[in-house]
Amino acid sequence: MLRLAYLYRNLTRNPLRSVLTCCAVALPILIYVLSTAVISGIDGFLENSARQLRLAVMHKSSIINPIPIGYRAKIESLDPSHSRLLSVCGMRWLGGTVENDPRLLSTLAVQADTFPATFPDMQLTPEEIAAWNRDRQAIIVGSATASQFGWKTGDRIAIVPSVPPYSPMEFHVISTAPKGHDPVTLFCRLDYSQEALRKYQADVKAPTEGWVADAWVSFFFVKCAGKDDLDYFRQEIDKLFDRTPDETKTQDEKSFMNEFINQQFDLPRNLTILAIVTIFVAVMAAANTMSMNVRDRINEVAVLRSIGFSSSVIFWLVQFEGLVLCGLGGLVGAAGPYIAFNHTPMKDYQVPLIQALIVRPAVCLEALLVAAAIGILAAAWPSLTASRLTVVSALRNLE
Amino acid sequence: MPLPLYYNWRNLLRRRLSTALTFAVVAVVVMVLAVLLSFASGIRASLAATGSPRNLLVLKPGATAEGTSILWPEEVARLAQVPHAEVDSSGRPLASPELCVQTSIPRRTPDRAIANVAVRGVDDLAFEVHPEVRIMEGRSFAQGAMEIIVGRAAQERYHDTSVGDELQLGRLGNRLFKVVGVFEASGGALESEIWAPRTILSDAYTRRFVSSVAVRLTDSSHSREAVDYVKGPTVQLEAKTEPDYYKDLSRTTREIVALTTVLVAIMAIGAVFAVANTMFAAVDGRRREIAMLRTIGFSRGAIMAAFLVESVLICGSACLVGLGVSLLLSDSRQDFLSEATWTVLAYELRISPAILAAALGTSVLVGVAGALVPAVKGARTRIIEALRKA
Repeated sequence: MLRLAYLYRNLTRNPLRSVLTCCAVALPILIYVLSTAVISGIDGFLENSARQLRLAVMHKSSIINPIPIGYRAKIESLDPSHSRLLSVCGMRWLGGTVENDPRLLSTLAVQADTFPATFPDMQLTPEEIAAWNRDRQAIIVGSATASQFGWKTGDRIAIVPSVPPYSPMEFHVISTAPKGHDPVTLFCRLDYSQEALRKYQADVKAPTEGWVADAWVSFFFVKCAGKDDLDYFRQEIDKLFDRTPDETKTQDEKSFMNEFINQQFDLPRNLTILAIVTIFVAVMAAANTMSMNVRDRINEVAVLRSIGFSSSVIFWLVQFEGLVLCGLGGLVGAAGPYIAFNHTPMKDYQVPLIQALIVRPAVCLEALLVAAAIGILAAAWPSLTASRLTVVSALRNLE
Repeated sequence: MPLPLYYNWRNLLRRRLSTALTFAVVAVVVMVLAVLLSFASGIRASLAATGSPRNLLVLKPGATAEGTSILWPEEVARLAQVPHAEVDSSGRPLASPELCVQTSIPRRTPDRAIANVAVRGVDDLAFEVHPEVRIMEGRSFAQGAMEIIVGRAAQERYHDTSVGDELQLGRLGNRLFKVVGVFEASGGALESEIWAPRTILSDAYTRRFVSSVAVRLTDSSHSREAVDYVKGPTVQLEAKTEPDYYKDLSRTTREIVALTTVLVAIMAIGAVFAVANTMFAAVDGRRREIAMLRTIGFSRGAIMAAFLVESVLICGSACLVGLGVSLLLSDSRQDFLSEATWTVLAYELRISPAILAAALGTSVLVGVAGALVPAVKGARTRIIEALRKA
């Protein structure tokens, strides 16, 4: 009890210094929380991709080259019983914008019959699946995009695709997939978009070429039953189309997604570097305070030692002081973004690449642990100096 | 009378550990700031160097980038009479139809990560519409031949793109194109591209259309009128000046840069607290000394100046070290994937004089902001009380 009181008195003895140190630790922790939240958002997305045991099949030479829609039947024929290869869903990229709005959408037109089975991670309710099957203009809007554009289930929206037919298409929002892992993608039905495409083709009298014809899709997603099946079909699908005019490149969904993410500044890696650097800054700022604290109190420590307190008590007193100081700073730094991004209007803030910044309690907890580690690290040298003090020489300097 | 500078210097050396730690904090912050700003300015410089305000880029309405735009031959034909279009010696308007596709090429890094590289099919006219494109090695391709030229930035970063190499292109990836030249485009985004004869590329990718038409105007002041004409009832297509188009391409990039700038600003504020802490300790530890200085005649201003100088001395020298480290990264070439085109654009990290000034300014600001309150406190020391404590 006495020691706790002493600790409290020590911290409040120079309140300004304590507050400044808390702030100097809180701000780096704030940065740490924000960058970890971004990284964990990306990681969570990729981990879900890995868990879903899906393969992505694209054209071998480039993602922008389409592949024939008929490949679906050929892929399905690899496992006629559908016990290992569960479902195949073809998709065409539409991109899109809302008229007079510069923001880019990421809309995919998907084969409606196999979509719910291939993407169970969308976690659609039976009613939503029924609406999806019934309504050809159905569209599922990712939760973050929905809140940015103010769209709700039941809304009618118009999207201009970035690819042919380029003219506005009307959709009915049937779900905002609140439990889905992809908050930014929009899924509409391929049969509806192909119909618009056929009309466009008739209008421009275009030759039936890959890029504009309705018999082509951008890629297929293939849902497998197990990890072995994933590896097996990854090779089998490419083998199936080997030496055909349109060879394929099949990868698991995580590698497929990763290719895009890593090309965007290597954001996960660079944010990790930033987080480490800021922690380094916090350690030095806190170490500075602790060493000043100990130096100011060197006489006091000598007195404590001479009246019988052991050196280990001194050691732990200083250690604990650092811990409390940085822990408080960490608490402020971690709680700030947690509250801001969960309970204030800032939660709709649009972050590039991952769009919605979700600050999870786990990330904040981790940041608190980091803050504690900063405290221990910062107090390491000062506490050792204090505990190893030669009492006689310190007392001699007493003024 | 101001206090001599070596007084500050000696003071800094007296509290070595404290000085060193504060120094390190500021140095790291300045380093991160400089690297970040050089990213941002590299991208800006690359995009600013791309596209001339005299050039108009015509796309299909609704298409968000050249890669997703389709212009059929009759739509291109409607562009024959764009007002104020420059004409060449034979009286043809300078309107260059261009086909944009992309291909995957491994990078020259050890992991050979795949990059999506833009491939542009152009007619000879394109070199008049984009006069900044100059062959710096080898020669230009011959129309009708399976030959390509490669942008300087692409050549540096991707495999099989040096003169004499062969690259597989085409929708089926089965057409071998020979690299015959390397071009530069005053550091702009075109340097990240591969150029090929349009007709040959169109055949290789079975695309009997073009993606865009670049129209060169006689003067940039006419761009408004020309854009209106293209959007109007005669042509009914989308047009932007090239600088506008490339600005839109880097929207996400600018958002990422803005976000990281916020993070660095937070870090700088953290550094202010660290510096303030050190300076408070310095003032507290020297109360008697200050009182002494006051009694022998130094003014309050001189005392205040002394502490400010001391703080700026730490921060300024830390800034130099931070900048020195960031200079090691300077001039390296990086790239990013534009979310509009899905192709990579390269840019160069460069520590420009503006960045040097910004870093120096930030560090001085941190130094002054951190020392201001402690310095005022020091200057207001009550002489008698401080001396009596002795």
